[in-house]
Amino acid sequence: MKNYHSIIILFVAICNAPFAAELPDGDEIALRINARDEGEAVSRLLTMEMTDSRGKQRIRETKGFRKYYSDEKRTVIFYLAPKNIKDTAFLTYDYPEADKDDDQWLYLPAMRKVRRISASDRGDYFLGTDFTYEDIKLETRISIDDYQRKTIGESEVDGFHCLLLESVPVNDDIAAELGYSKVEQCVDDTIWMVRQSKMWDMQGRPLKTIHSKDIRQVQDIWTQHELEVSNHKTGHHTRFTFSEVRYNEGVNDRLFTQNALKRGL
Amino acid sequence: MTMQKIFRCCLFGLWQSAAVAVDFDSSITATAQWMVNTHDGDSQSLNLSLVPEFNVGFENGWQLKSSLRLRAEAINGLQIDDINRGSYSEYSKPAMLSDEVELELREFYLQGEIGDTFLTLGKQQIVWGKSDGLKVLDIVNPQSFREFILDDFDNSRIPLWTLNIEHSIADWDLQFLWIPDQTYHALPKQSATYAFTSPELVPTAPPGVQVNIEQPRRPNNVFLDSDVGFRATTFWKGWDITFNYLYQYNNLPVLRQNLSLAGGNPVITITPEYERTHVFGTTFSNAFADWVVRGEFGYFTDHYFIGKNPLQNQGVVKSPELHYVLGLDWNAPWDILISMQLIQSWVVKDADKTTRDKLDTTITGLIRRNFLYDTLTAEVLIIANTNNGDGIIRPKISYEWQDNIKTWLAADIFYGDKQGIFGQFDENDRVVVGVEVSF
Repeated sequence: MKNYHSIIILFVAICNAPFAAELPDGDEIALRINARDEGEAVSRLLTMEMTDSRGKQRIRETKGFRKYYSDEKRTVIFYLAPKNIKDTAFLTYDYPEADKDDDQWLYLPAMRKVRRISASDRGDYFLGTDFTYEDIKLETRISIDDYQRKTIGESEVDGFHCLLLESVPVNDDIAAELGYSKVEQCVDDTIWMVRQSKMWDMQGRPLKTIHSKDIRQVQDIWTQHELEVSNHKTGHHTRFTFSEVRYNEGVNDRLFTQNALKRGL
Repeated sequence: MTMQKIFRCCLFGLWQSAAVAVDFDSSITATAQWMVNTHDGDSQSLNLSLVPEFNVGFENGWQLKSSLRLRAEAINGLQIDDINRGSYSEYSKPAMLSDEVELELREFYLQGEIGDTFLTLGKQQIVWGKSDGLKVLDIVNPQSFREFILDDFDNSRIPLWTLNIEHSIADWDLQFLWIPDQTYHALPKQSATYAFTSPELVPTAPPGVQVNIEQPRRPNNVFLDSDVGFRATTFWKGWDITFNYLYQYNNLPVLRQNLSLAGGNPVITITPEYERTHVFGTTFSNAFADWVVRGEFGYFTDHYFIGKNPLQNQGVVKSPELHYVLGLDWNAPWDILISMQLIQSWVVKDADKTTRDKLDTTITGLIRRNFLYDTLTAEVLIIANTNNGDGIIRPKISYEWQDNIKTWLAADIFYGDKQGIFGQFDENDRVVVGVEVSF
């Protein structure tokens, strides 16, 4: 029996030795994710389906544009349907400097005014979805400065091998701002995209899971076509379905202005 | 050439160039509200409005947007005809289909680009300013005061026939407005539920003196009496900044008074008249962590206030007015929005001759929270005037049952001195129940 235990320990040690040595560390994974080609600009249709715990569903049709200006990212989303939210629009300027807050604006058609939104709203839920403003802003990227991260192992999602990346907010204030005490992401290390993210709330309880599906290449750029998020506390679900994705075409600079928010598409 | 002909020519020209319609969408929104006066339990209003919208997109990117509003009021309480329709131009006046039913063209405009210039031509709403609940620079379009300031501004704002040209140069967005539509604030009649009685807004006749109010003297020359406006907008070091200029007829008429004798008895004749003013303004906003700072300033070169002495200067005092708002929005913990505003108005000259104070201060406070994934919203808005000690408290809770069905329960509670702008409606406190359905 003693020999049997020794063999197991040796086997585990043999397996773990190269494993620990080969896995990239958390920061390297984060850098690789953020270095992935996202296209300088993109336009796409986005259907948002929100379903509450009783099965009541709400559907929004939107059109979104994103463009990089050097390291500064500008994103705008226009709501096309249904009637009660049509013409609402959201614009954000995301700056590369860690100490510079993003600038965000929201156009509400009932007020016919563009309103400035404080960047610390980023942990708030985005217009009735299970995504926060920060989730929407980051898209497929991850925040370098908000978290300390480490690689905790390997796993598999939808049949794809991935590295498990654990991220913890750098301090309590950031955690409170983001609404997460911990994030665990399953990162596909062949295309450097996050296939699944799990978030824990401030009390350390499971909060939500984001699942990226239908990842395929568009104009040679790996692109997620479906994002599903389940809120474990409320039973609410949100599904984002992307279509008509086009990179580096028809994304006019004037879309990323307050005037464009008012005029709509 | 009348204004109608001018717009017809412009629209026809643009229509010709627009070529083929490629996209069409339409919708209709039905809203029903029941308002009950909390003092006597009587129905203050039972109304229904239908707003169909039609949008056409053309091959060349231009769009034609239009909407109508059919509004019906039950017989008791607020009436369709509570407002003085003499303030509308012939081109913007809603049609009274009966004593209870009104039909209004709310929007009808062509929108598109010629080169780098963006044009919006037709009946539209232009909204300037950063303030909530009360207005400083949101004065391009006049407003209906049939329900005082209780109706949503989007409903009470009166759209005008306007040429709106926008062009960007470097980091500046420039807007030019030409408004040949001589429509002004629609003010309630003396018999209306929300008739003005505050001495700050209307002259008060001494006891036993008969008052005659004449029809307003309206500007009526399409070109010479048109309003023009200009706005320059930029984004500078995190600040949203605008500089505004408007040359307009003040939307409130000047109430000139003349005393005469009829059969040995004194009679005051009030002649409402519209006067021009230059308006110079600026707005700003920026976000700092959890806070948003915003503000707007407006300087009116020629404002006419009600005079204390009806025999002096026909009972009016002319003075520049400085009017501004400073606002602070705080995104507090638990997703609560707390918004505070300081609104002040200065009578620059001869304030002691007017019925109001030199400095008039109003403070507003709003607390709002969304629940259940933004389907349930609870809020309380408080507007308090510190000069008269009056104000209004407006709690509201609304719920979206479906994307297209929304209901709300609200209250409008006035308090304070009846001489005040809010206190004058102290008897009009009400509870409101509403439902909105859209397709």
